[in-house]
Amino acid sequence: MDCSKELTGMTVVVTGATSGMGRAMAMNMAQRGAHVIGVGRSQSRCAELKRDVLKADPAARITVLVADLASQSQVLLLAEDIRGAALRPSGLVGWVGDGRIDALVNNAASVYNWYATTEDGYEAQFAVNHLAPFVLTHELLPLLELSPTGRVISISSASHFGATMHWPDVMYRKHYSCLMAYKQSKLANVLFVMELNRRLAQHSHVRAYAVDPGLVNTEIGQKGTSGIENWVWRKRRTTGVSPEQGAATALFLATTPALAQADAAYWKDSHPAQPSKAAQDSVEAARLWAYSERLCGMTWGAGSACCQQGDPMGSPLRGG
Amino acid sequence: MQGYVLITGATGGLGRAFAIECASRGWNLFLTDLSEQALLALSTGIQRMYGVTTRYCPCDLTDAEARKSLWQRITQLGLSFHGLINVAGLDHEGRFFERRIDDLQTILRVNIEATVEMTWRALQFREPGETFRIITVSSLAAFYPMPVKAVYAASKRFLLDWSLALRHELRDSDASVTVLCPAGMRTNKACIQAIAAQGFMGQITTLDVGVIAARTLDSALAGRAVYIPGIVNQIMRVLSSFFPTALVTEVIGNRWDKNTPYHGHTGGVRWTAAKS
Repeated sequence: MDCSKELTGMTVVVTGATSGMGRAMAMNMAQRGAHVIGVGRSQSRCAELKRDVLKADPAARITVLVADLASQSQVLLLAEDIRGAALRPSGLVGWVGDGRIDALVNNAASVYNWYATTEDGYEAQFAVNHLAPFVLTHELLPLLELSPTGRVISISSASHFGATMHWPDVMYRKHYSCLMAYKQSKLANVLFVMELNRRLAQHSHVRAYAVDPGLVNTEIGQKGTSGIENWVWRKRRTTGVSPEQGAATALFLATTPALAQADAAYWKDSHPAQPSKAAQDSVEAARLWAYSERLCGMTWGAGSACCQQGDPMGSPLRGG
Repeated sequence: MQGYVLITGATGGLGRAFAIECASRGWNLFLTDLSEQALLALSTGIQRMYGVTTRYCPCDLTDAEARKSLWQRITQLGLSFHGLINVAGLDHEGRFFERRIDDLQTILRVNIEATVEMTWRALQFREPGETFRIITVSSLAAFYPMPVKAVYAASKRFLLDWSLALRHELRDSDASVTVLCPAGMRTNKACIQAIAAQGFMGQITTLDVGVIAARTLDSALAGRAVYIPGIVNQIMRVLSSFFPTALVTEVIGNRWDKNTPYHGHTGGVRWTAAKS
């Protein structure tokens, strides 16, 4: 093993790793010696990421996994694949990992211009941007515990300011607004991090961080939009910073060995910052937590969600 | 209401929207579609969101034997229904002569044969003492002959006429029939691209599926015969009725011609997976 690089020995998971900030993070950490497990939706873009990482450094350790985070069942399968990859990085003959994960970067997110549901019947932005990282973090927590500096990093956004949880209709089914649904999902990211830290503080050294990357020039607003909205996102992104600059804070949190203010939950420009008032409401955070547990069919800390769903209460009454 | 609402084509974009809307009103669901895995995911999600009872059974509605075993299963379970939503439907887009005859027959089997049978049988399993609501998903295409979608559009015309007649027959038996005639909907990638390709017209003729499902159920509960989502679509429908059918066909045909290159015989088979 090449031990000359600063991140050698680290294993990091990055979702949404095939474009934008996720890609910048994956490339960066792989080149600095970390074993990067990159998650993407498209087989071909995953292969492209792997190719580019290895082109930059043939000795880099990169595993790519394909999963659609809109699907709860695929998130669970992904967690299983990540467990395997943390033990046996692909293509690295003779190298066996210890199964630990040092950082999980929940970066993948989506923007849908219209009301769209996932296969589980959940509104797509809420499912991809909030429920997927909720489940994935739960499933990978035992592996993060194995690391002396296990960290969960969720890419939120300043767009969570001004948002509140839309409890009468969380899925925005009745009067869908792309922007409100997006803002709510980014608020949910911060509320999740806050509640997770409250829970972890009692018995774990793992810490969670929410990041405001600023306005970044990525494709996020263009994949699920058309017409005027697509044009607005296209214009808007050109005023943003590069994905590499946008990724800086998350990279800082993922790779700095000893964080000076390790208990600060919300970060911007590699410094602690203040999230919105709504994001600091612990009652809201607990309510979102309970709602998320219900939608994901699990109780936090009661073992892998796969096992929890094996019981007859969780399985639907089949007619066929 | 102890009974169920039966939804066919339940795991597609519109089917999911209907299932969610029904569950939000507290109704129990019996879902069917092709994929068991997709039914399991949707059924689980809906239970978690709304706490209603959801049951499901996968069925290939093109297959008469599969339909038979579906109804045997329903009989075994002793289910009764207070609603039926016929969503399942498909199209293989392309010129008539360029398509495989099997594909054309499949359109007729799902859109017409299966819908008629599901409705006939569901009426035998009515929940006693409850009003029975039938919603059948037709299409705006039902109002016009449509070159390039000839068989599909005609099958939707069948559903429209048949539903209106059935509605009349059922009027004294506490049952209603409502026909949904939507334009394009953003239910899958192909439809989304097709709507985007239409530019401004696509934007103004398209509504969110969640809204369409909610308003269709409201229409059914109010006993309305036909629901056309979107004011622009409603106006187009009314305006087109002032012109002779042959002229309307000509206009639609010319529009599609521009967007549909000729292929060789049977070479143009494409799934659009359009649910309506």
